[in-house]
Amino acid sequence: MLRLDAITVQFGGLTAVKGVSLSIGAQEVVGLVGPNGAGKTTLFNAISGLVRPTAGRASFEEADILKAPMYKRARMGIGRTFQIPQPMHELTVRQNLLVAQRFGAGRVDEAKVDEILSFLHLSDKADRDAATELSLSELKALEVGKALATDPRLLLLDEVLAGLETASKRSFMKTLTELHARYRISILIIEHDIETISNLCPRVCVLNYGQLIADGTPQEVFSDPEVIRSYTGGGHD
Amino acid sequence: MTALILQSLYSGLLSGGSYALIALGLALVFGTMKIINLAHGEMVLLSAYMAYVMENRLAVNPLLATPLALVVACLIAVVVYFLVSRISRNRELNSLILTFGIGIILTNAALIIWSADIHSTSAPGFQEPVVLGPLYSMRSELGFFVASMVLVAALWWWLSRSWYGRAVRAVSSNRDAAKLMGINPHRTEVVSFVVAGILASVAGVAIYSTGVIQPALGASLTTKAFIITVLAGIGSIPGVLVGAVLIGVVEALTVTLYSSAIQELTGMALFLLVLFVLPNGLFGAARRRG
Amino acid sequence: MRVRVLIPLLVIVLYGVVPFALAGNNYVMSILVAALIIAGVALAWALLGNLGGMVSFGHAAFFGVGSYISAIVTMKLGVPVFAAMLLGGAGAAVAAVAVLPALRLSGPYFALAVLAYAHIFKILATEFTTITGGAGGILGIPTLPRVLGYDFGSKVGGYLVIVTIVLLFALVYARIRNSYYGYALRAMHDSEDATRVVGVHSTLLKALMLFLSAFMTGVVGAFNAHCINFLEPDYAFSSGWTMLPVVAAIFGGYRTLTGPLVGAVVVYTVDQLVFKSLIPSGHQIIFGVLLGVMILFAPDGLIPLLAKKLQWVRQPRGCRDPRTESVC
Ligand SMILES: Nc1ncnc2c1ncn2[C@@H]1O[C@H](COP(=O)(O)OP(=O)(O)O)[C@@H](O)[C@H]1O
Ligand SMILES: [Mg+2]
Repeated sequence: MLRLDAITVQFGGLTAVKGVSLSIGAQEVVGLVGPNGAGKTTLFNAISGLVRPTAGRASFEEADILKAPMYKRARMGIGRTFQIPQPMHELTVRQNLLVAQRFGAGRVDEAKVDEILSFLHLSDKADRDAATELSLSELKALEVGKALATDPRLLLLDEVLAGLETASKRSFMKTLTELHARYRISILIIEHDIETISNLCPRVCVLNYGQLIADGTPQEVFSDPEVIRSYTGGGHD
Repeated sequence: MTALILQSLYSGLLSGGSYALIALGLALVFGTMKIINLAHGEMVLLSAYMAYVMENRLAVNPLLATPLALVVACLIAVVVYFLVSRISRNRELNSLILTFGIGIILTNAALIIWSADIHSTSAPGFQEPVVLGPLYSMRSELGFFVASMVLVAALWWWLSRSWYGRAVRAVSSNRDAAKLMGINPHRTEVVSFVVAGILASVAGVAIYSTGVIQPALGASLTTKAFIITVLAGIGSIPGVLVGAVLIGVVEALTVTLYSSAIQELTGMALFLLVLFVLPNGLFGAARRRG
Repeated sequence: MRVRVLIPLLVIVLYGVVPFALAGNNYVMSILVAALIIAGVALAWALLGNLGGMVSFGHAAFFGVGSYISAIVTMKLGVPVFAAMLLGGAGAAVAAVAVLPALRLSGPYFALAVLAYAHIFKILATEFTTITGGAGGILGIPTLPRVLGYDFGSKVGGYLVIVTIVLLFALVYARIRNSYYGYALRAMHDSEDATRVVGVHSTLLKALMLFLSAFMTGVVGAFNAHCINFLEPDYAFSSGWTMLPVVAAIFGGYRTLTGPLVGAVVVYTVDQLVFKSLIPSGHQIIFGVLLGVMILFAPDGLIPLLAKKLQWVRQPRGCRDPRTESVC
């Protein structure tokens, strides 16, 4: 359903993403890994419309998306979260989801919003101020909630598990597994932890210096010498 | 006809000198602090009134007002800096409203002290014609144009060579990185304000010596300086220089070919054109503003 | 609860008590009408600031365009005055199209670009002498008409019209603010990308707020033209039409609904009754001082400050909900 064809993103002299080609099928769950600064977030930005690729093509459900502005891609069915949570300020948690639903899905269905809230364990925070009264794990859940409220068919999750303590991480992982089963959508997830990614994703892609260096099952990918080298070589920025 | 056009190109070039000084000050402060000082034109205005006071109350050559104007403009600059730096929230927009308020205070202070009357110099020798081939100008116009260019060159030297100048540029391009390099951004901000004040004081004396002043002038100078920076695409001295001369020339041409009433209109029209067609300015690199 | 009591009370006072109490005093009545004109523009300005996230220094442009269009269509085309006022608003909204490219500019750029537009419109009005009468101005603009035997051209009649206009605008503003559009718009100031990524067409919403704000300002400008029956470019596009509403909104609190209205009435009346006689030329200096003091010491404005004080009296400790403040 998502098809990237030789996507390249340059910032001035820096090439953050270099000729990445990748397709994701319906209801597939794919992990995206790579050291810091490898270009993972930039790739998400290119798919969701935050940055314009310097070269390459991208389509979603056979429709060319690179010309579409950000809000249109959201309405087409591409939902995403931000690595640093970006709650909508001045609104409550529920209002955040309602706005996402009203504009992203084009309808208002409060029952569905309540269902998402309870699914993400946010029900008792529903009427709190989203920007100031949530913990980190709640903010990450809200990120997912906003994206879900837009009725996406592809969900891009940018390090939603990073920075959480073990307990909340485990429960969040369970929620993500259930999420996939319940909403039957494709998920592309950025995550650093190899164990987590191996548990969640039957397929893993590895970015290094902006290039796609591996694509396969976790066993294949994490035994690939080039991947091991990029990992042990440490991050770069 | 050609002679007339040639003459307006020349007059426009000369008035572009003081416009450049004003616009560079505005751009400098915007660079370091990311605020637009809406009281910037009023610093120029009060400097101009200092020259008027010197000539009319103390009966001395208005040029001698420059040190006084320097003190006044820098004082205003430092006060504006101090007040703006006290804003805690939403600095970008609140500083705009605050400096708008300071502009109102200064304009009305000028109105209360000196009334709404128009003033111009009658100092001997200022209006004497200087003829360069087919081109004519007043002696004061030519003199101040040369002075402005010297000042712009000094600014350029300072920004590229001196430690403080480089700190200003570093803070303008990347505040966090500058901090890591051991630059104190606050001190750099004060310095940029003071330098803007210095440029404004010379521009003020120049404007009084070559034209007419009145309290409402401050606001229109701020607008003009802003337009020039938009034309230039903030961040380059040559860009601002060309933008300033362009505005000066376009205004002079309008006066010659049409009427003085729409003098400002053509400058604004140019500004709109740039805004529509070249959102990054005439010389700006392709990048988002603000 | 409180709102349900307050609103009928307000309506009774504004329509019942004030007109009769002040009917004999033409001077106070005309000051009140002028204050309400400022209030209308201040409300429109605050709508753009609070919902659109845009500070404008050029609302005089919309005010002037509205007043000229209304004056001209009544005089040259014989359009009835009330219809002409709507046309004035529509014309101001159309004029706002010229401001659209400025929308993609960030905060300060937008504010100043609109200022430049105000200059342009003033010069245009001066230059198009065949239509606008040029610098000489337009005399004899028709007053508000007599409808069903009631003369809206009288002082009290004018008051009733402007009160109604301002209340209607406030109602529209409140409705938008509490709609999904309002939510999305308010969320936009802090994180525009966060709203766009969930499908909000942020530029369109901001443009709509710009049109609405321009329309409101144009209608008020048109009302003013039919009130004073005379226009000239320096007056219709005077920077005062920008400055006073900004001062009023900042003083009262531009993120509240009542702030700009209360601010306009207080600031304008005090200026006219006190400072204008103290400092005949240059009394506007007080506006500058007021702006500075408010931004430095109470950037939220008077109404939120009062609300906080009242709340503090009622519940001395804790549980101050940040969201109740925006209900004012
Ligand atoms: N808007 C931008 N402007 C300039 N450089 C950027 C921008 N966004 C990302 N980069 C650079 O692109 C590279 C990739 O960044 P990113 O995609 O965030 O990496 P990752 O998410 O894999 O850690 C980094 O070197 C980063 O500094
Ligand atoms: Mg990242």
